[in-house]
Amino acid sequence: MEKKKIGVYVCHCGGNISDYVDVEKVRQAIEDEGGVMLAKTTMFACSDSNQKDMVEDIKNNNLNGIVVASCSPKLHLTTFRNVSERADLNKYNYVHANIREQVSWAHSDDKTGATEKAIHIVKAAIAKARLSESLVPNKIMAEKAVAVIGSGVAGMKAAIALSDKDCPVFLIEREFFIGGRVSQWGAMFTTNETGKEVVTRLYNDLVKRSNVTIFTGAEVVSNVGSIGDFKLKVKITPRYVKEKCDQGKLQLAMDACPVVVPDEFNFNITNRKAIYHNFPSEYPQAAVIDMKNCTRCGKCETLCDNIDFSLKEEILDIQVGSVLMATGFDPYTPHDGEFGYNEIGNVVTLPQFKRIIELNDKDLMFKGTKVKNIAYIYCVGSRQPEGGNTYCSRYCCTSAIHASLLVKKKYPSVYNYHFTRGIRTYGKQESLYYDSSAQGDIYLQAYEDALPEVSWNGKKSIVKINDILTGGREMKVEADLVVLVTGMVPRADNSVGTLFKLPKGRDKFFNEIHMKLRPVETFIDGVTIAGACQGPKNIMESANSALSAATKSYSYVSKGELETEPIVAVVDPVLCTWCGACAKACPFDAISMTKDGTKAIALINNSVCKGCGMCLPVCPKDAIDLIAFSNNEIESMIDALAHD
Amino acid sequence: MSILQKNISFDALVVGGGIAGGEAALNLATTGFKVLLVEKELSIGGKMIMLSKVFPTLDCAACITTPKVSEISRHPNITIYTSSEVSNIDKIAENNFEATIIRKPRYVVIEDCTACQLCEQACPVSVPDQYQYNLVGRKAAFIPFSIASPKAAAIDIDNCILCGACEKVCPTNCIDFTQETEEIQISVKTVILATGFKLFDPLLMPRYGYGLFKNVITSMQMERELAPTRPFNTVLRPGDGKVPDKIAYVLCTGSRDASIGNPICSQICCMYSIKQSQLLMGALPMADVTIYYLNIRSFGKGFEEFYQQAKGMGVNFVKGKIGKIRETENGNGNLILRYENINEGIVKEAEHDMVILSVGVLPNQDASNFFKKEELKLDSYKFIYQADSLISPARTSIDGVFVAGTASGPMDIPDSILSAGSASSEAISYLIQK
Repeated sequence: MEKKKIGVYVCHCGGNISDYVDVEKVRQAIEDEGGVMLAKTTMFACSDSNQKDMVEDIKNNNLNGIVVASCSPKLHLTTFRNVSERADLNKYNYVHANIREQVSWAHSDDKTGATEKAIHIVKAAIAKARLSESLVPNKIMAEKAVAVIGSGVAGMKAAIALSDKDCPVFLIEREFFIGGRVSQWGAMFTTNETGKEVVTRLYNDLVKRSNVTIFTGAEVVSNVGSIGDFKLKVKITPRYVKEKCDQGKLQLAMDACPVVVPDEFNFNITNRKAIYHNFPSEYPQAAVIDMKNCTRCGKCETLCDNIDFSLKEEILDIQVGSVLMATGFDPYTPHDGEFGYNEIGNVVTLPQFKRIIELNDKDLMFKGTKVKNIAYIYCVGSRQPEGGNTYCSRYCCTSAIHASLLVKKKYPSVYNYHFTRGIRTYGKQESLYYDSSAQGDIYLQAYEDALPEVSWNGKKSIVKINDILTGGREMKVEADLVVLVTGMVPRADNSVGTLFKLPKGRDKFFNEIHMKLRPVETFIDGVTIAGACQGPKNIMESANSALSAATKSYSYVSKGELETEPIVAVVDPVLCTWCGACAKACPFDAISMTKDGTKAIALINNSVCKGCGMCLPVCPKDAIDLIAFSNNEIESMIDALAHD
Repeated sequence: MSILQKNISFDALVVGGGIAGGEAALNLATTGFKVLLVEKELSIGGKMIMLSKVFPTLDCAACITTPKVSEISRHPNITIYTSSEVSNIDKIAENNFEATIIRKPRYVVIEDCTACQLCEQACPVSVPDQYQYNLVGRKAAFIPFSIASPKAAAIDIDNCILCGACEKVCPTNCIDFTQETEEIQISVKTVILATGFKLFDPLLMPRYGYGLFKNVITSMQMERELAPTRPFNTVLRPGDGKVPDKIAYVLCTGSRDASIGNPICSQICCMYSIKQSQLLMGALPMADVTIYYLNIRSFGKGFEEFYQQAKGMGVNFVKGKIGKIRETENGNGNLILRYENINEGIVKEAEHDMVILSVGVLPNQDASNFFKKEELKLDSYKFIYQADSLISPARTSIDGVFVAGTASGPMDIPDSILSAGSASSEAISYLIQK
């Protein structure tokens, strides 16, 4: 091996490191280490000017190993690998030493100890750099097509953006109708366009595109492969009603159906038949038979000749280079008794209330009674001190206030009473709060340790609060309707997320790589996230995130070829006896059995392997090694760490 | 006097080199399009590069901005003009825009400057440093700030006395007083406006005493005091250099206030104030921090938890609007805040030794003057009007012109990144389809 000439850079990180670690002392302690040719300190190693200096140093001194002691490699491994590349040094000769998260921030109470630890960590990195080798990234073909899962506003918008860029799209919707949650909503803030109008606009745009294939009643049931080459199996459930169907006969068939079940589209406040529409002009405009509830009585079949019970489930195979998840959210369902829900008759959720507004044209009626006083209780299912949902759902304050404006406009005799925990109409949405106050809505705010109470006096609900805004006075409102302003929760059914092994955050929504700067990428290469599956969002925010995710997904597939890390596990075919322990330990399903002649051994799929190293310690024969983290390299690092 | 250059063409013009403009430019460039990024300041990086840390991850802003800035500045498909402003943009047809850019002279040849700072040491002129929000001074020959990109000196010609001292000490002879304003005519196929926002100027609210009482500062000044490249290397009050131990935040300064012409919420002030309060608890463990608020708006991912964390650390949250701030009469530089304590329903006064005004986000209306033939509409708050705000939030009133980041309204960094992703996606579609 060529003799190593290593350059070491110890970063101040402004003060993030140098406030607690004596970086000059670290530099002096390592400058005479074997192989070290150059050792410097720098204010910000990542700054453009220092990167330029590093390129010069590498070129001028023919350095063939580089160590930067700075922050977490999560932040800057790629930055400094790129510096190596720009200096024509293979980027795998770069070794990152973390002396910020692991040293200065962790030991801010012990400066001497922190400096000592930093010296050891840098020495270990130098030991690794002495053994570093040039590696060539694996190249894989990328299928120029993207699967968009979920056809709410985010999914539709992403599909349009990809289609615009001449990228074929498979839009996969689990329900029988596209549009997601937005199709359930009436007028929306801040343009007052209705959910139906928005969905119609997007759907009409989608269907005219030849490179978009829309599947409804479709579920992804399996996924093999990885970035560039995802092989998905999609199960298509038939509607049992043909799309081009005579509307008159279909209506007769629906009328004749004897089954009556709650209509989920209207959040169970109305009923539907087993053969049903969401509403007459939904998309695609074709009814469906709900086989879970259908009694197979056959009455519909006799009235409408486009009903066909012989249709069969299909499994389609599709191949895509990237997957864009836009699976949305569930509205929070209060538990029985939460602010009277399911125990007091006139307590509904905000999504139910929005359907009630849509379904009542003249007077606002609920269960046969004309509604006069409406009490809105905020933060139901959000900001819970106990109960799991610690987060704010972001959209609900504005959504509830917007509903109260609509209600007052549509039914001028109603009165709105808002029981809040502090209104969060951020940005321009503030104007709605102002308008609502101006129209005479009453706002009350609860103390954090004394939320409003709902009781029933035999005729009406009584909502009681100690109101902050009047110095803690006890207030009671007799309400004809209590609206629980419910938040967004992650989808209860996460089967599709599990298929792709998508990590979740503390809030159980899908997790992005970096909350600030990489909000649509995930740790699963090739899978992006858009809309409310990443966290609560309003429609505009969902559209922005959908377009961002589309841009990222497009960047994975647009060039037809992708590079993946060469840092993968390798199997020694002589030592391996295929016990299968490695395959069980692999979190990415990258290991399978193969034959080496007649002998069964483990096979690593290089495009799936993430180089996590989980398979190494479980191998009883020590037959697996990890490129760039070989036993040899790790042992030399341990020696450096343990040496005084 | 100016030099005219003609016939330069790019696929896209991105106006504004902050985090939104930079992200949009990168997206376009990595897709293969040629981008011109125009920035009026001496460095790209916008306001984000000046921040201390970011909420709720507490990443150091410099650490996550500089690599992005570095990536932008060396991307082969991105050309950057700093100290430059757009004077006009004309839409000739779809996919055909003509723009004029005014490049102001820096009086330093960027390529030759090594940022050795000898000119800074030689320059006899001292003026307030705008990049440190006037907390300290700088010279007329100066490096804008330590992590600026490009990192090169500049001459502030308005304050320069033309003594020539800098020229004499410069080891690379990169100072060039003969540079002239350049007028550059370019043609592009699409435009992204990422012109950002302006901070509310608290001088417009004399009752808070900013400018009159030295220990009343803005939140941006506190960002600088807390940043890794901080001017004093510790937090202190500007009046007398004392380390403060009873600090107050005044939220909604210049936001949600029709009396100063800005009725809307600025969307970021609650969170950055909570962030600063956590950083202050770390920097000054003995200090008391009180946040006076109307509503705490911790609405984003991880924000509510961050707010609860600040409460847990001992930050004191008081629901109340500050009516007036005055200095104590004994000359110790402390401040008396008169406020309505809403929880208790009474008007109270409290003494603090340093007050931070959490100033809001105002529109930067520069972009409305770019277009002469077509009308770039503004919304009722003077932000760039979003023609299809629900489902195509980046579209403006002119086809082919898109808006990214806070130019369309207040937003935080993740929302700016998403908005930039959205604008670049629309721009790429427009470039491919038309």
